[in-house]
Amino acid sequence: MNSNVKKITQKELNQVFLRSCTLDSGWNYERQQHINYCFTMIPVLKKLYSDDPEKMKRALHRHLEFMACTPHIVTLLAGITAAMEEENANNPDFDEQSISAVKTSLMGPMAGFGDSVFWGSLLTIAVGVGTSFASQGSVLGPVLFFLTINVPGFLSRYYGLKIGYNSGTTFFANMEKSGMINKLSKAAAILGLLVVGSMAASQISIEIPWVIDINGITTPIQEYIDWIMPKFLPACAFVLVYWLLGKKIKTTTLLLLTFVVCIILSYFQIL
Amino acid sequence: MSLTLQTLLIFAVAFFGYMHSYVGSTMWNRPIVVSTLVGAVLGDLPTGCKVGAMLELAFLGAVPIGASNPPDMVSGAVIGTAYVVLQSTDIETAVALAIPVAALVAIFDNFLMMFVLPEAAHICDRLADKADADKIDVVVRAASIGNKVALALIVALGFYFGIPVIEKILASIPEFVTHAMDVVAGILPAIGVAILARNMMSKELAPWLMFGFLATAYLEVPTFGIALFGIGVAMLYFFKKEVIVEGVDDNEF
Repeated sequence: MNSNVKKITQKELNQVFLRSCTLDSGWNYERQQHINYCFTMIPVLKKLYSDDPEKMKRALHRHLEFMACTPHIVTLLAGITAAMEEENANNPDFDEQSISAVKTSLMGPMAGFGDSVFWGSLLTIAVGVGTSFASQGSVLGPVLFFLTINVPGFLSRYYGLKIGYNSGTTFFANMEKSGMINKLSKAAAILGLLVVGSMAASQISIEIPWVIDINGITTPIQEYIDWIMPKFLPACAFVLVYWLLGKKIKTTTLLLLTFVVCIILSYFQIL
Repeated sequence: MSLTLQTLLIFAVAFFGYMHSYVGSTMWNRPIVVSTLVGAVLGDLPTGCKVGAMLELAFLGAVPIGASNPPDMVSGAVIGTAYVVLQSTDIETAVALAIPVAALVAIFDNFLMMFVLPEAAHICDRLADKADADKIDVVVRAASIGNKVALALIVALGFYFGIPVIEKILASIPEFVTHAMDVVAGILPAIGVAILARNMMSKELAPWLMFGFLATAYLEVPTFGIALFGIGVAMLYFFKKEVIVEGVDDNEF
C-alpha cells in the first residue's frame, strides 16, 4: 500500500446512513430502488473517485443497476459494497465486476429475510398492539405502533452499516489477495440465482379467466394449465422478457408494450 | 374552520404520510397513523384513532413486498376518515369509502412508477455517463419528493371536491381498464426478475435458476426458505477443495 491510500471516514458512513433512509421513495417498475441506492452510495464514491472520472462513471452505472432490498437492512449491503469500492479504489488489480456480482447476489436473500421480518412479523405485531389501543380512541395506539417498527428498524439500519463496512474491509482485502474473489462471486451467484428463480415463481402472476363449458360442466382453463405445470404462464413471461432483454430491447419499451398488450387483452377479456 | 384551511391541512397530512419512504420507511403511511392525524387536524382525535384501527385491519394485507404494489393506503385513510369525522357517520362507512379511493389513487401511483420515475432514472443514466454525481443527487431528490407532492395534491383535490365527485370518477373508469392495471401489476415483476437473472447468469449456473423456480412452483417453498437452502449450496461450492489454475478465468461466458 502506498502513502495516498483512499479511506472512507465516519463522515461518509453517516451520510450513507441518512441517505439509505430514502431507499423506497424513488421506486419504479424498471429497476425498483436503484436511483436511491446510487444516491446512498454517492458520498462514498465522491470520496474515492473524485480524481478519476472514468472510475466514477463506471461506479455510478454500477449502482444504478437493478436494486431490490428491504429498506431497514439495506445498509448492511451498502456497507459491504462501500468496503469493496474502497478496495477497488486502492487496488488497481481489483475485479470491479465482483462488486456488482456480490451486490446482486446478496440483495435477494437479504430482501427475503428483511421483508418477512419487517413487513411480516414486526408489522403484524405493531398492528396488533396498536389497534388494541387505537380502537378505544387512544393515541397510545399509533405511538406504540410507530415505536414497535422504528426502534428495531433504525437500530438494524445503524448497526447493519457498521457491520457491513467493518467486516467487508478485512474480508474482501483477504479474498482479493488469496485469489478467492472469483469463487466468492460464483458462490454468491448460485445463491442469487436460486432466489431469483423462486422470485419468478412467487412474484409474477398471470391467470387466464376463460372457462370451458362441456354439457353444462364448467372447468376453468387455468386448471388444465396447472396440470401441465404450476406457474407455467409466469415461466413463459419470464423466459420471453429474458429473451427480449437479450435482444437489447429497452426496458421502457418493454414496460409500454406490457401495458398496451394488457389493455387490449383485458378489453377482449382474454386476461 | 374554512374549507380552504381544512384542504391545506389535509394536504399536509397526506404529504407527511407519503414521505414515510423518504425518512426511513417508518410505515407512518399506515391508516393507524394517518387517520389519527386526520382526526387531529379536523378536531376529533378519538374518532380518528378508532377509524385508524378499523382501516388498519382492513389494509393489513397491503404490504410492498418485492414488486407488488398495494392499494394506496394514505388516500384511502385520509378520505375515509375525513368523511366520518365531518359527517359524524358510523365509522364503518370509512372502509366502504377508503377501499375504492385507495384503488383509484393506486392507479395514478402506478402510472408514476411506470412512466414518470423511470424517466428520472434515464436522466440519472445520462448523468452517470458524464460522471456527474452532484446532478444525480438533485434529480434523485426531486424525483423522490416530487411524486409525493403529486400524490398529496390528488388527495387534497379529492377532499376539496368531495365524495360525490370521487364516486363519479370511479364510476366513469371502464371495468377493463382497472382490470388491465391488475394484470399489468402481475406481469411487470417479470422485467425486474429477468434483469436480476441476466446479471448473474452463466450456462454453468443456469440450473440453479431452474431449481429455485421449480422448488417454489411445485413444492411451494417460500423465497426465504430457498435463500437458506442457497446459503448451504453456496458454502458447499465455496469451500470445495480445488486446484486453482493460475491465469484461467472461468467466470466469463
